[in-house]
Amino acid sequence: MVLSSKRLNSMVAAVFGVALCAHGAQAPQHLNINQLSTTVEDVVVPLPNELFGALNKLGAVNWKEHVRSDEEANFTERPRIALLLGTVIADGFIAVQAEDAPAVRDIGQRVLVLGKGIGVGNSITPHAKAIIDAADKRNWANVRQELDRTQNSVQQAMNEVHDEKLSQLVSLGGWLRGTEVLTSVVKQHFSEEGAELLHQPDLLTYFQTRLQTMSEFNLPIVHQIQDALVEVKPLINTGNARISAESIKKVNEITTRLGNDIIKKD
Amino acid sequence: MNPFANVILCTTSLLAAVVVLPSATLASVDPTTVYARAYALLAAEPYVKQGFQVREDYWAGALASGERKVVRQQLFKGNEYWFWLGTEVDRAKVSVHIYDSHGELAEQPDSWAKDHFAAAHIIPKTTGSYFVIVRVEASPAARTHWALAYGFR
Repeated sequence: MVLSSKRLNSMVAAVFGVALCAHGAQAPQHLNINQLSTTVEDVVVPLPNELFGALNKLGAVNWKEHVRSDEEANFTERPRIALLLGTVIADGFIAVQAEDAPAVRDIGQRVLVLGKGIGVGNSITPHAKAIIDAADKRNWANVRQELDRTQNSVQQAMNEVHDEKLSQLVSLGGWLRGTEVLTSVVKQHFSEEGAELLHQPDLLTYFQTRLQTMSEFNLPIVHQIQDALVEVKPLINTGNARISAESIKKVNEITTRLGNDIIKKD
Repeated sequence: MNPFANVILCTTSLLAAVVVLPSATLASVDPTTVYARAYALLAAEPYVKQGFQVREDYWAGALASGERKVVRQQLFKGNEYWFWLGTEVDRAKVSVHIYDSHGELAEQPDSWAKDHFAAAHIIPKTTGSYFVIVRVEASPAARTHWALAYGFR
């Protein structure tokens, strides 16, 4: 079934018209949040580029210095591949920020290899090709979209075969790499606004909760991450207080160490 | 709007949104919410043209009239977000609102709700967790499928 773009545009315009003429729905100005669900299920983990976009607005960032070109080790353990895949997808967002087409191409290839390594090659192949094509055309918006689709397709494919835990490790790998880069940037030019971007206590709790259910993944790297999150939590869970430069430095040391452990063999 | 035109618009819009869904998503999502997600994406479409990147990930479920679902989401100060809610159920009335961690309504006044759609707009004043509240205000269906997508720029 094919709809002409003209017709699609007119339908979209109609929806936009709905938005313009719709009423602002009435909502109470205040809710007692204690009466709301306080679980952290159903979390949609932000993409690294949500974080990077906010960081970019605080001032120019030299993204090129954060593009990583280290060769990763070849792993056979699926949890390790999942963590690495999340990290590599985050590296893709960094390479897009740096507008580094060769690095993005390379990441597209690595994503494909890693996806095959955990049995989701079929889901990833079209996205990996789209990443490479978009990098060749320097169409950065498309690369970002395809990186998101890659992560989503991997996770959907894993969820279908009840590998939700691996899916969560992909998200965790991306979050750790994003946090490593955020703290690296803020450490270099400290600002309270930059440090505030690290205020993500619920996400950290979410990952801790998930890791507690992964006892079957009895790997040193998983234990290292669990221990590291315990260290990180008080540094970023500061309530209404500001996150200090010293905390940023410590979180950067921890996440850099973990980042190296994720890409290298034990 | 003329009821007949409304039916045509909704039907063809839904088909269009399903067409633009990524094939991998169509193959794997819960079939009971795929149409709701198509409506959510349809609501998002005009904002994509304004530079919003719509996330592939989304929330979905089914609620009875008067029921609500609360999701927590990490938002970053400096970004701007829209949350789009869709349902395929005709004559259902749905809403979405965003509250900060103190329980204060945090959305912009241009948030809206109409027919199969509702949307909430937020420019976070602080980085942290926010509560996004989805509610089926009224519906002819016993359970109303819904899907919530979001985008940022």
